[in-house]
Amino acid sequence: MIRDAPGTCWQADDGLHINTRGLAPPDPMIAILWRIEQPDQNGPIIAHFDRNPVHLFVELEERGWSHDYLNNDLGEVRLLLRKQT
Amino acid sequence: MNMANSFLGGAQDRLLPASIPFRFFLAAALFHVLAWAILFVGAEEVASFRGGPGKTLAAIHLVTLGVLTMAAMGASYQLLPVVTRRPLARDGPARLSFWLMVPGIVILTLGMGLATPSTMLVGAALVCGGLLLFLVLTADNLRRASSLPVVSTHGWLALVSLVILATLGILLIVDFESGFLDSHSDLALIHMIIGSFGFMGFLVLGLSLVLVPMFALSQSPSRTPGWLQAALTSLMLACISGAIFFEILSLFWISATLAIIAACCYLWLMRSALASRMRKRLGLSFVLIRASWAMMVLALALGVAWLADAPLPNAPTLTGFVILVGWLLTFLFGILQRIMPFLASMHAADKSGRPQLLSELTPENPLKVHLICHFTAILMCVTGIVINESLVLQGGAVFGLIGAVAFLTFATRVTLKLRHGK
Repeated sequence: MIRDAPGTCWQADDGLHINTRGLAPPDPMIAILWRIEQPDQNGPIIAHFDRNPVHLFVELEERGWSHDYLNNDLGEVRLLLRKQT
Repeated sequence: MNMANSFLGGAQDRLLPASIPFRFFLAAALFHVLAWAILFVGAEEVASFRGGPGKTLAAIHLVTLGVLTMAAMGASYQLLPVVTRRPLARDGPARLSFWLMVPGIVILTLGMGLATPSTMLVGAALVCGGLLLFLVLTADNLRRASSLPVVSTHGWLALVSLVILATLGILLIVDFESGFLDSHSDLALIHMIIGSFGFMGFLVLGLSLVLVPMFALSQSPSRTPGWLQAALTSLMLACISGAIFFEILSLFWISATLAIIAACCYLWLMRSALASRMRKRLGLSFVLIRASWAMMVLALALGVAWLADAPLPNAPTLTGFVILVGWLLTFLFGILQRIMPFLASMHAADKSGRPQLLSELTPENPLKVHLICHFTAILMCVTGIVINESLVLQGGAVFGLIGAVAFLTFATRVTLKLRHGK
């Protein structure tokens, strides 16, 4: 098992921020999935990416998490991830 | 269109149109059916095959070009831009490469089956045109890629191998008519080794570093063994080509040693990826992928036994079959049955922007039939080659054919779901 997920994270007023920028694939996806699978993790999560994480959406859907775009600029994509009720 | 949709629209724009990879995958599935059918018809000459035109050569090229190369092209067009974080420069050349490859493979293999070098040359010219477009597009993508240097290096090595492979292929076809080569069989053997361990081998080794962790959900593996496997495989290919061409026995043994160490690096990387995975149930695809790794080891063992003059009946055919069908085809179908629903899910997002669940897009029954028939086919064909019995080979080809039809059913159903989902 992965003991410590890649990427950095910090808690802010708007939720848990996870920065995956600079990571090589598939580490951005692992960084998010590992953290949402932690016990008591109900979000919201603000995830930072270098590019649109198209491969992540299927995995989020399967785990019952939704995603909304906060920002989709060239060079940085920010997603708001929420656990579906 | 709401904000989410407009953003998703942007996301989808960055994906290659689904029709491009899927046409390659469907064509690969169709050529797979044809390959087993030709093997069935030409079963009598398979065990004793040592090169030259005929049905066996046609079946081999339906596998190598029709199945392996077509699937590799579709997957590379779709996945390399994702892996290297650089979009494909243009869609048009990728579509054109498909329309050159399909008739090219049909004409080339028809020429091989009928033993008419002029037909082979026409087919080879079309295939080379398609491969050239693939090479230019992929090289352009790799050139602009700064991340994942290990994977990119494997991509470059695969392209270099492809140039050597295609050049040797053309030379061999011309030689069928003019007979200008002194060492046709030596060059044919180098052509086969560069094709399987060079072009396809580097793609398998390189893409595994991303795809296996992505499917198993584990962190990207450490770089050093990745560099090592690329360097050792390159050195092995240079050594074995020299060994065959100059007939130096010691170089054969050095090549075998290098190949075994490279395989150990690869297997260690794959084991590490699986040991740290987050996904517990890996499904049918990993039964195939794991079996392909075992077949790779078996192929190397057979190669060493052949080299050591071990009393192994039809060793060249047996080794070639285990490499092509046992290792490469098994690995490919393991990967394809994961990639196709995955891509379909991303492309077939509904109007809310939510992707469809993989389970909804993966018809399991055809995959179960394919798995059982594929392994039965390998077992029967290997037995048929060893005991030199064409009836057993034909039985294996029938199972292979049923498995291929099952996989084609799977591929068609995923494609139809993708079309209906849009």
